[in-house]
Amino acid sequence: MEPTRSSGAGSGNSGTYTPEIEESLRFEEEIQSLMRDNTMHPSLEPPPASGGGGGSSSFTALLGLPANQAVELLHQPDSDDSPAVAAAATSGRELWRFRLRDPKALTLPSGFSPTFPSNAALVERAARLSVFAAEDSPEAASVPSHSGDRFPKPKAEPADSDSQPICPIPGERPQRPAKRKEAEKGNKVKGAAKKTKSAEEGSAKGAEENTAGEKLPYVHVRARRGQATDSHSLAERARREKISARMKLLQELVPGCSKISGTALVLDEIINHVQSLQRQVELLSMRLAAVHPRIDFSGLDSFLSAECGRVSVGNGRGGGGMEQSAWTEATDESRRQPQQQIWHVDLVHPHQTPSVWERVDSPHLFVHPGTSLFGYDPANSVVSLHSNQLKTEL
Amino acid sequence: MEKQDSNRSLSFIDTPTAANAGFLERGRRIKMAAEMGLVESSRGRHWSRALRSRLLRRKGNGACGCKEEGLAPCKVAEDLVGEDGDDEVIEIERRVRALQKLVPGGEDLAMDQLFEETADYIEALQGQVNVMRALAGLLDGLEKEKRLMGG
Repeated sequence: MEPTRSSGAGSGNSGTYTPEIEESLRFEEEIQSLMRDNTMHPSLEPPPASGGGGGSSSFTALLGLPANQAVELLHQPDSDDSPAVAAAATSGRELWRFRLRDPKALTLPSGFSPTFPSNAALVERAARLSVFAAEDSPEAASVPSHSGDRFPKPKAEPADSDSQPICPIPGERPQRPAKRKEAEKGNKVKGAAKKTKSAEEGSAKGAEENTAGEKLPYVHVRARRGQATDSHSLAERARREKISARMKLLQELVPGCSKISGTALVLDEIINHVQSLQRQVELLSMRLAAVHPRIDFSGLDSFLSAECGRVSVGNGRGGGGMEQSAWTEATDESRRQPQQQIWHVDLVHPHQTPSVWERVDSPHLFVHPGTSLFGYDPANSVVSLHSNQLKTEL
Repeated sequence: MEKQDSNRSLSFIDTPTAANAGFLERGRRIKMAAEMGLVESSRGRHWSRALRSRLLRRKGNGACGCKEEGLAPCKVAEDLVGEDGDDEVIEIERRVRALQKLVPGGEDLAMDQLFEETADYIEALQGQVNVMRALAGLLDGLEKEKRLMGG
């Protein structure tokens, strides 16, 4: 059966499948050599045995089984999802051993994909997390829709157009994988929201490839190989998913960005937004400097290099409340500079800030020399005039 | 410094004369303080650390001596190779590099982390802008009141 498989693989497909075909052809030889070595061991037992650990519910293991065995395994009590998913990885390895042991499993009942059982919890999880669950969880949705004939149907998810290619119709073998490949690619770009576990992706991909596989036996081989090679593409896909998730978050942050489609344009908007924000900071700082000549940060040296790094403005704070050494440093430095009193905000003592803001109503307090807040300046009129002009300008 | 400021004209932005120098210097100091405020508001972030070291470097702080910059520049291409058509990739890469230059410390980051840092940086910038605007408005109001009261 193996030689026919490989020849069928070679002749029966279009060019879109060539890389996979090569892979699978190489893998064919591996399998054949292994078959000859007969190093296979019955791997049917471990999944059911580890059913308590969730191995039974790994549907990649079930992919290789004839339908009735799969049903049996399915009806075993489900365990937690994650061990199931993790076991899916291990059972994926055992999958191909199923293949070799039971070549009859390759000929699935016609018009059905029984090897894609609908483990409700697992499918749900795959639908939620899988990379193929872009928009409407197409591939995962196709699972229940197709296995529903045989197995208890999980919660029905809207079947997508992507389910079409997965529907195993004999004779459409070349187009189906191609369509599915495109759908995959489309999903890769559009990407689901969440990051997926590579094991789960591997099982999903392997299972998905397998649904159309009753005429493409090598697909089963590729499913196993998908565990090794696909881990790279799986990691890549997971990474791209993460990237698109972050991009969506950025889109929400930047106003007006959600309508834009296309990565480059969205990035343009993001860049513009960041630039505009930075420019606003610069303009506001110049405005503060221009309008309020008394505002200054004189202790910059000390507070930048200080470990606590707290903001300390200006002078004349006196010795009041300087509990931290950095503050006294700033005060000393500023005392050395000949300055009139300037307005400063004391962030170390936040309890005072409300009082500062309260004083908006009673501006006459600001001329109080003791608090050294708003200093008095003979050039005040000039400043006010300038501030009005600046206000209209900015 | 204050005496110089009394000779200000509106073209202070264009011509850094002796009259404007003080004002420009103060403006730069205020900007540095604003950026320090950014740093302090999001202390754990990569961009916050990068911005802080940049500020310290600008102040001529020799004690820092960190070699964080230039470790692994341009970590962009890895995530994009082979995904889309080449034109798209080039376009996207260009923008990602531009974003890397904008976000402090962005050059060290790969795409996914870069986007995360960008989101946080945007939020912090917006907060900083709001604070400064409120401060400027408050001070303007105070000045106006003072002028009305004292004038």
